[in-house]
Amino acid sequence: MKSWRLPAREAESPADRVRRDGCWRCVLAASILGLTAAANAACPPAAADGTVLKSGDLVLAYRPLLKGKPDRIPMAQHFALEVQLCDQGGISAARLHKADATMPEHRHGINYRPAITALGGGRFRVEGMMLHMAGHWRLSFEVQAGGQTIPLAHDVQID
Amino acid sequence: MRLGLAALLAFAATTCAGADPPQFTAAELGRIAAHGPWPLPWTADPGNRVSGDAAAIRLGHALFFEPRLSANRRVACASCHDPARGFQDGRATARGLVAGTRNTPGLFNVRHQRWFGWDGAHDNLWSASLRPILDPREMGGKAARVARALRGKSALDCHYTAAFGKRPDAGDPELLVNVAKAIAAWQETLVSPATAFDEFRNALQRGDAEAAAAYPAAAQRGLGLFLGRGQCTTCHAGPLFSNGEFGDIGMPFFIAPDAVDPGRQGGIKRLLASPYNLLGAHNDDRMRDDPTRSNATGTKFLRAEHRNFGEFKVPTLRNLTLTAPYMHNGSIVTLREVVKHYSELDEDRLHADGERILKPLHLAEAEIDDLVAFLESLSPDAAPPAPIAPPAVPTCRER
Repeated sequence: MKSWRLPAREAESPADRVRRDGCWRCVLAASILGLTAAANAACPPAAADGTVLKSGDLVLAYRPLLKGKPDRIPMAQHFALEVQLCDQGGISAARLHKADATMPEHRHGINYRPAITALGGGRFRVEGMMLHMAGHWRLSFEVQAGGQTIPLAHDVQID
Repeated sequence: MRLGLAALLAFAATTCAGADPPQFTAAELGRIAAHGPWPLPWTADPGNRVSGDAAAIRLGHALFFEPRLSANRRVACASCHDPARGFQDGRATARGLVAGTRNTPGLFNVRHQRWFGWDGAHDNLWSASLRPILDPREMGGKAARVARALRGKSALDCHYTAAFGKRPDAGDPELLVNVAKAIAAWQETLVSPATAFDEFRNALQRGDAEAAAAYPAAAQRGLGLFLGRGQCTTCHAGPLFSNGEFGDIGMPFFIAPDAVDPGRQGGIKRLLASPYNLLGAHNDDRMRDDPTRSNATGTKFLRAEHRNFGEFKVPTLRNLTLTAPYMHNGSIVTLREVVKHYSELDEDRLHADGERILKPLHLAEAEIDDLVAFLESLSPDAAPPAPIAPPAVPTCRER
């Protein structure tokens, strides 16, 4: 069981910065970042890309996108995840098929059904997550690659 | 430093009260801190364009106490939400035009809730405020009646016009939603005062052992049980002492020999069918289509589960001394009985899909006393004074 901490990198997307500043420079920067998303994808993932999980050649890095940038996943608040898939060749062509969370000791999951959006360059955004109780949670991912479904999981403690 | 403070605090309280309060661990001190600060910062409701608007707040206050909105002109919102009782009515179940089946929830601190009603059938306060106005069992209101009430008093008419930029018109499809948004705007101003627990929590935060020791030893021991063996913070978390979600704690769900209250299961169905939910056209949030900032995230991603049957909202534990009786059906009269419910929990009554970590606590009588002392410390010493009418906006004065 690990206590999860947000990496030091800003948990703010280019689109967020556009909304915040509303300036043309940011619009331009966001456009460039969008066009070069694949080139900038972090493979292999660095610490700033969040928690790294591995299964064979597949590497999955995830980090929560949180308002106010708290350093822990907060209890009972909605958050989104950004997920990066990599393999030995760099950016993985695999698809994030499912993201979910359960409390094994409680034998129940979350109250929401997360939705996954492919962002390109092996990146995915998972929306609708909320860990609504204090205690031990298991974040679980299913990745589809080459006709196979690869499960990955990570335990987090929510206080 | 916190551990040192805890030790000092334990010594001080022991010497004063002659009973041993717990020595809180560093982790427990962190969890105590997470129950504050209080009050929470107020922010406007993005889904309600008149949230925080002075004219709407004044109008909402007047309408909350206005019985002419109801079918028999005798039932107002305040009939069940009595300010002298923490905006509850003291009854087991509500009584509007006819008897209801659920306990009236208090209204303090409603701005900070995610779901409204014991089953969370509403995802916003204005929708939750509109339902009883229209419900034939509660107020039985109609647009024409509401418009008459507004236009019959020049001050109401003026404040409605000031808030919404047009006069109240029974033919306006927005009329009822606007009225509900004004009532919500006023309810959002209802904040309960800081309590003995808050003073204790703040004293711990600033390292003031002397001030912290003023918190009764029994309440400290009760807090220790609340954080520890009781595991109450699993659900009763944060400054509101609620995670805002739903749970099945083994309460009966039969409301008649041949009728059940499905709780959250029915609430989700009603929520998703409502034209007044945050996915609908009445949501004023300008970020509603933003995937990470929308106020409709909870509703958009809701997942109905079989286990939702018999789940009810985890209530806040603030102001409990003002809002007896307890539970969704008002079946438990005292806080002591509430604690005994958890102490003697009948696991056979928990539904097959119920929360698996709920186990009977088997508390000693003295431990029950301590938990009650702690729960009582989450309420103000006396009911806050009845709220005075907010000031009229300048353009509507002398009406």
